[in-house]
Amino acid sequence: MKEHLPPGIAIAKSENLEEWQMDIQVLDDNPLYRGQTYRLKFTFGSKYPIEPPEVQFIQSAAPDPRPIPIHPHIYSNGIICLDLLSSAGWSPVQTVESVCMSIQSMLTANSRDERPPGDADFVSYNRRRPRDINFFYDDDNV
Amino acid sequence: MESGNGYEEPVDLRALDYVSSYDDHLMCPICRCPFIRPVRLQCDHVFCQKCLNTAMTTGLEVFTCPTCRAPPQDVFQNVPRILTNMCDEIRVRCPFVSEGCQEIVPRGHVQSHVDKYCGYKPIECPSPLCNKKIRRKDLPSDDRCLHELHVCSLCEAEITEQDYDEHVNELCPYLKMTCPDCLATMFRNALKEHIDVCPEAIHPCAASKYGCPVKIKRAALITHEKQCPLLMMSPYFEAQNSRLESLELKISHLQQRNEIFEEGLAKLQSTLMESPQTNNSSSDASDNQQPRDDRFSYQSNANTYLLSLHESLREEVARMSQAITDLDARASMTIMNECLRIKEDMAHTNAAVGSVRMQVQWLMNPRLHHGQRVASVRASGTGSSEQGSSNAVAPSPGLPSSGTVRARRLSDSGREGTKL
Repeated sequence: MKEHLPPGIAIAKSENLEEWQMDIQVLDDNPLYRGQTYRLKFTFGSKYPIEPPEVQFIQSAAPDPRPIPIHPHIYSNGIICLDLLSSAGWSPVQTVESVCMSIQSMLTANSRDERPPGDADFVSYNRRRPRDINFFYDDDNV
Repeated sequence: MESGNGYEEPVDLRALDYVSSYDDHLMCPICRCPFIRPVRLQCDHVFCQKCLNTAMTTGLEVFTCPTCRAPPQDVFQNVPRILTNMCDEIRVRCPFVSEGCQEIVPRGHVQSHVDKYCGYKPIECPSPLCNKKIRRKDLPSDDRCLHELHVCSLCEAEITEQDYDEHVNELCPYLKMTCPDCLATMFRNALKEHIDVCPEAIHPCAASKYGCPVKIKRAALITHEKQCPLLMMSPYFEAQNSRLESLELKISHLQQRNEIFEEGLAKLQSTLMESPQTNNSSSDASDNQQPRDDRFSYQSNANTYLLSLHESLREEVARMSQAITDLDARASMTIMNECLRIKEDMAHTNAAVGSVRMQVQWLMNPRLHHGQRVASVRASGTGSSEQGSSNAVAPSPGLPSSGTVRARRLSDSGREGTKL
């Protein structure tokens, strides 16, 4: 699908058309994310690209550590609160590449070393899939 | 699309194998294929009609442009013709490549290719009882079903009728075939091995590459090869060949080296021509080319040696003179330092001498007084000789208190004077 990926974005797994994994890095010198690589999991539904894929960060341990980046819109279980990924904000012209770039820039622009409010509650009680959660996009700064 | 014949279904253009490369701008941003029946929004963004329709119906109630999120707007069918032409120009593989069709056609023609010309398109078997498919080119003229199984009389495999002829004539392993050389008949699967050993097959002598013209049957060839003089020589030929090859390699190396040397020589010559001294030698040796060259190189060698010697000597001289200047500067510096120190020392000594003179004077003073007093005492009377002796000692504790102060002051002032 794509041969020339922008810097800091790499395909980690793309064997089938249901699930892809991408590695992203924040390229500038943001101290929160410097030197780290994060893994995103894309789950495509049958209606992709008309409907958005499910995108979340996944964690893995050494030897290839992939933490969950700290961000006021990323819960510690990897679920991302980004309007682009909701059915309201999604557009069928988006691609895996463009989503990765959006998340990259969302991390780059952040300077707050914190999780979203109510992170602990959300992480322990949420059993729903990301697409079923009604996020309130209350913060337009990011 | 074209549905005139009833059973023709449209080709899925998105599933085609696009052979030629195409510009990214010809790609629908939704399905990422070259545009298929493109339509245009008012904001000038173009999509496939089908993609836009799906996006419109499955999206939210307010449909915005997928690319720029412009508010709801009209959809125009009239995209520039060049766009559709360019998309239809892209070459694709026939969708029945798995059936054996190797055709590559422009995308705009693939539908008609599939509908009318592709012989590999599987179509329904004309027999109403059979639900299998048959390639169009294999369709019999009388609409029989070709899927009935026939048993091959030779190998007893079950073959469908459409493949039967090909099997019997070409592919059956138990097909009787004749060896083209010995005319023996045998099964097809044994023929391949037989051809390699057939005694009747005509083969050239193994020494044919060395010039043996003999071409006879394999059986006779063995006896020939036992006496063929060229074959006997073949190890020698081989060795010679390899030697020749290595020699050629060496020669090419030498040629390369020679070229390098010649280049160097040419450079040397050009430098010599520039230097005025060589003009004489060239006029001396102008009658004979060979020695001139030799002399050139010899002289140039000597010249360069002398020049380099001269250069190094000059450098040494420069270094020496610099060292001498250095030394000179250092020596004058030390002399100046010494002089200063000595001058200071002398000043100190002067001061010390002055103070010593003062003290001596001061020491002399009481003695002079004493002498006067003794004289006066002697003059007054000789009653107090003890007092006199005590006086002689006493002045030292008694007087110094005032005397030292005076003396110091004097010496101090004396020092100050010398310092100033």
